[in-house]
Amino acid sequence: MVAAAAVAAAVALPRLIYPVLALEILVWGLFAVAIDLLLGFGGLLSFGHAAYWGVAGYVAGMVARDLGAPFPLAVLAGLLGAAVLAVPLGYLSLRRTGIYFTMVTLAFAQMLYYVANELRPITGGENGLQGVSRTFPGLSLGPSLSFYYAALPLVLFGYFAAYRIVHSPFGHVLVSIRDNEARAQALGYDTARYKHIAFILSAGLAGLAGSVYTLGEHFASLEMLHWTTSGQVVLMTVLGGLGTLWGGVVGAGVFLMLRDFLSTSDLFRDAPGVVTGAIFILIVLALRHGLWPTFAVLVRRGLGRFA
Amino acid sequence: MRIQRSLALLLAALIAATACSGATTGPGPAASAAVTLTDGKVVIGVINDQSGVYADLSGKNAVEAVNMAIADFKAKYGDNALGGPIEVITADHKNDPALASSKATEFYERSSADVILDVPTSSAALAIAKVANDEKKLYINITGATTDLTGPSCNKYTFHYAYDTYMLAQGTGTAVVAAGGKQWYIIYPNYAFGQDMNKSFSAAVTASGGTVIASDGSPFPNQTGDFSSLLLKAGQLKPQILGAMQAGGDLQNVVKQYNQFKLADQGVKLAVGLLFDTDITALGLDALAGVQYTTPWIWNEDAAATAFADKFLAKTKIRPTFAHAGNYSATMQYLEAIRRSGSDDALAVVKALEGYKFNDFFIHNGTIRPEDHWVMHDAFLAQVKSKAESKEAFDYSKIVSTISADKASRPLAETGCNMPK
Amino acid sequence: MDYLAVQLFNGLANGSFYALLSLGLAVIFGMMRIVNFAHGAFYMLGAFIAYFLLQQAGVGFWPALVIAPLVIAVAGMFLERVFLRRLAGLDPLYGFLFTFGLTLVIQDGMRLRFGVQGQPYSAPAELSGTVLLGAVSYPTYRLFVVAFCLVASIAVWFVIERTRLGMAVRAATERADLTRALGVDVDRWITPMFGFGLGLAALAGVLAAPMRNVSPLMGSELIILTFAVVVIGGMGSIAGAIVAGFLVGVLSSVGAIFDPAVEGIVVFALMAVLLLVRPSGLFGSIETR
Repeated sequence: MVAAAAVAAAVALPRLIYPVLALEILVWGLFAVAIDLLLGFGGLLSFGHAAYWGVAGYVAGMVARDLGAPFPLAVLAGLLGAAVLAVPLGYLSLRRTGIYFTMVTLAFAQMLYYVANELRPITGGENGLQGVSRTFPGLSLGPSLSFYYAALPLVLFGYFAAYRIVHSPFGHVLVSIRDNEARAQALGYDTARYKHIAFILSAGLAGLAGSVYTLGEHFASLEMLHWTTSGQVVLMTVLGGLGTLWGGVVGAGVFLMLRDFLSTSDLFRDAPGVVTGAIFILIVLALRHGLWPTFAVLVRRGLGRFA
Repeated sequence: MRIQRSLALLLAALIAATACSGATTGPGPAASAAVTLTDGKVVIGVINDQSGVYADLSGKNAVEAVNMAIADFKAKYGDNALGGPIEVITADHKNDPALASSKATEFYERSSADVILDVPTSSAALAIAKVANDEKKLYINITGATTDLTGPSCNKYTFHYAYDTYMLAQGTGTAVVAAGGKQWYIIYPNYAFGQDMNKSFSAAVTASGGTVIASDGSPFPNQTGDFSSLLLKAGQLKPQILGAMQAGGDLQNVVKQYNQFKLADQGVKLAVGLLFDTDITALGLDALAGVQYTTPWIWNEDAAATAFADKFLAKTKIRPTFAHAGNYSATMQYLEAIRRSGSDDALAVVKALEGYKFNDFFIHNGTIRPEDHWVMHDAFLAQVKSKAESKEAFDYSKIVSTISADKASRPLAETGCNMPK
Repeated sequence: MDYLAVQLFNGLANGSFYALLSLGLAVIFGMMRIVNFAHGAFYMLGAFIAYFLLQQAGVGFWPALVIAPLVIAVAGMFLERVFLRRLAGLDPLYGFLFTFGLTLVIQDGMRLRFGVQGQPYSAPAELSGTVLLGAVSYPTYRLFVVAFCLVASIAVWFVIERTRLGMAVRAATERADLTRALGVDVDRWITPMFGFGLGLAALAGVLAAPMRNVSPLMGSELIILTFAVVVIGGMGSIAGAIVAGFLVGVLSSVGAIFDPAVEGIVVFALMAVLLLVRPSGLFGSIETR
């Protein structure tokens, strides 16, 4: 029932708002879910997920542009690219725990930012990867609206995968590691391995989101790899509510709609950082559970009326 | 609603087409009296950097300049001169080409913008040129420097208005060599703009009889703000001229550190590729006095320029940079072109702009080259004043010589533009 | 003395800033378990206060070197009392997120007020000359920065590692409950130590003002590099912060001789290698969560 309502909402969304914005909410939501998978269920705050979002964007962009591959293949390539990258980087980052882990992920992402900037012949440097087109035999995917519907199944698959991961035995072990790593170890679980796999899965989901985003924007840019991108997605996740999985989607929706609204108002357009920063501070001080609990109650009440 | 709008568009296009065919037979006063707008209004989009390194030299004050131009246009021809309202919308591209591209698409599609103006940062400038071509809407770039806009990336709908790296190199490179600065060491920020500058300056220096003994790229973005290794190398090489191609904050760091290394005392003179008044404000006259640079305009070059600068000062509390003046001028010329063509249909306006010859307080001896859409006009070689010479706030530079429009413009054979007919 | 050797001094000058910044981070982290993302923003504010003192009151570089850190330290203590105290005992990630938000607000607020163009600031007259190092003339000011930072870092190290005051602070850091039971008022030290850490950042900012561009964004990229330095040195280790700071500065500058592009990547490569062979950092001690 809830799942059907969510899918219906996703289908209706681009009819209600600007389709480009709708796609943004969809993919940033998935990106936030990837963060929550790691943070809410694994207790690991990655402040460097821009690396996977961005690298997937570049890979997908190149596969689509230079090989002319149909868009699902490009997305798959981006997803795999991100997951493969997460193997060594996840291994190194997980040598540290807690807040150290956060700092290391941040530093590695920034390193990739510099590397991508220097690899100008491949990445286009600060020009970015321009002119990425999306194709599929028999479909015309030029208009934003048609691409939204073409990409929807892929993104929904990502959401579904996240749901399955969290509710699998693997997910339960992950939570027990979050709550008490020593105990999980004592029970015989190779906790390092579990965390590493969770990291790779999360990176893969971020990669799926980043690939679709790039194809939607016709563009992969250095900005995708910048630390502000990592900060933004963490904000969405925390705004939605940690450990709720779907909170990230609400966080992404609220944040992006707010930004879209503010971009037309003179008062706040000038100081996006002040607004974003203030939201951060507000959440940390007063709203640590995020918006999801409130949102969930409202939805349940709404659905209850139909049931 | 969508269908209604397309119908209206179609109808308007038909009317515009007939109006155009009438106009070509003889641009009499009647042609400009009846303007037909495709969707009942003119929407001007300004996309630039409103929060990053180029926010001060164009930014929100460039939007103010566009608004001033619209007010003056209405004062001249009446509030309803174009038969509908003239609106301005604006967005911050944060120097991100992807954001620039998506904002431009949004402006053209969602807000039905008729033209996009300004757009500093070469990468963002080029990204929007592509969108303009796809959407078949007008785009007049003012603050971007890359020659690619009128080169490989040129298209029917894109115009390059104020300056480019060729102009800067022709002015400064040639003049400095002629004044005896023959040996150059060039340092440039390692990205599209800097590489373009390095190429243009190397060519100009060599062509006028100088030599470039070495050139090095500096990391971009430069996260530490440190240029000491390049400056140390300059101290080793002892060139006559250190050519700094950095822009904005990077340039300010280079100049600061150049002064600290006392390179001037060792006979290494500084030449600057691109200098805005805002850079001089940041560094102070002492740090730059005597430095020569090329610019399309300075605010106190003549009475007309000063008149604009006075009005601008009253609104914004600062004197305009050439980017601000260029935005005003381009807006005015765009609105005039709508009047001439009798329509805001993109192709009609393109037709009215191509080959047009004009003069205003910003553009001197202007011609819009139809082959690549470069706006040919005079440029100036300027020199930063010493503190003693400066008579008031923002009185920073004096003009050394004029570079004529044909000298300041890249020869057509070199552009590499293949303009679609 | 040739180009390569002089480049070493450049490295030390750059390293000075890393050392001072990571030292402040280490002090704050040691005391409160908070990774202060806003450290770069306070470094920027330090530089701006110096600029302000000169513009508005004609107060020069030397007094600014004292006043700016004091102002920031007081502001920091206020911040700790009003906001950070509420986060004590929570997962450190909330402190990190709070200071991240604070960074955005400070940076963007300053940008709104001052734009991103730099503000002019020059070295004091007595330091604005050059010194001949072999055949190369080198700015006196840079040598001063290196010497000053070395002395300041060692002084901080001495106070924390070798005095009774430092002992109380260290004890509070490692076993707050036990220290409390022994009759030491731990909480009394948290506020001033946070102020002190921020003061170090402001000190680095004042020192940077004559060398770097005084602009609202001057600390935003630097903070990430400093994080890497801290990981290399071993979080919470005072000596580690100092040594890693200078080391990273020198290695980056020497790398730049071969290829300027290397400069930005050296620090991250070093961090990756260290994580492989010695995850707790050069001087890292027991790691607590």
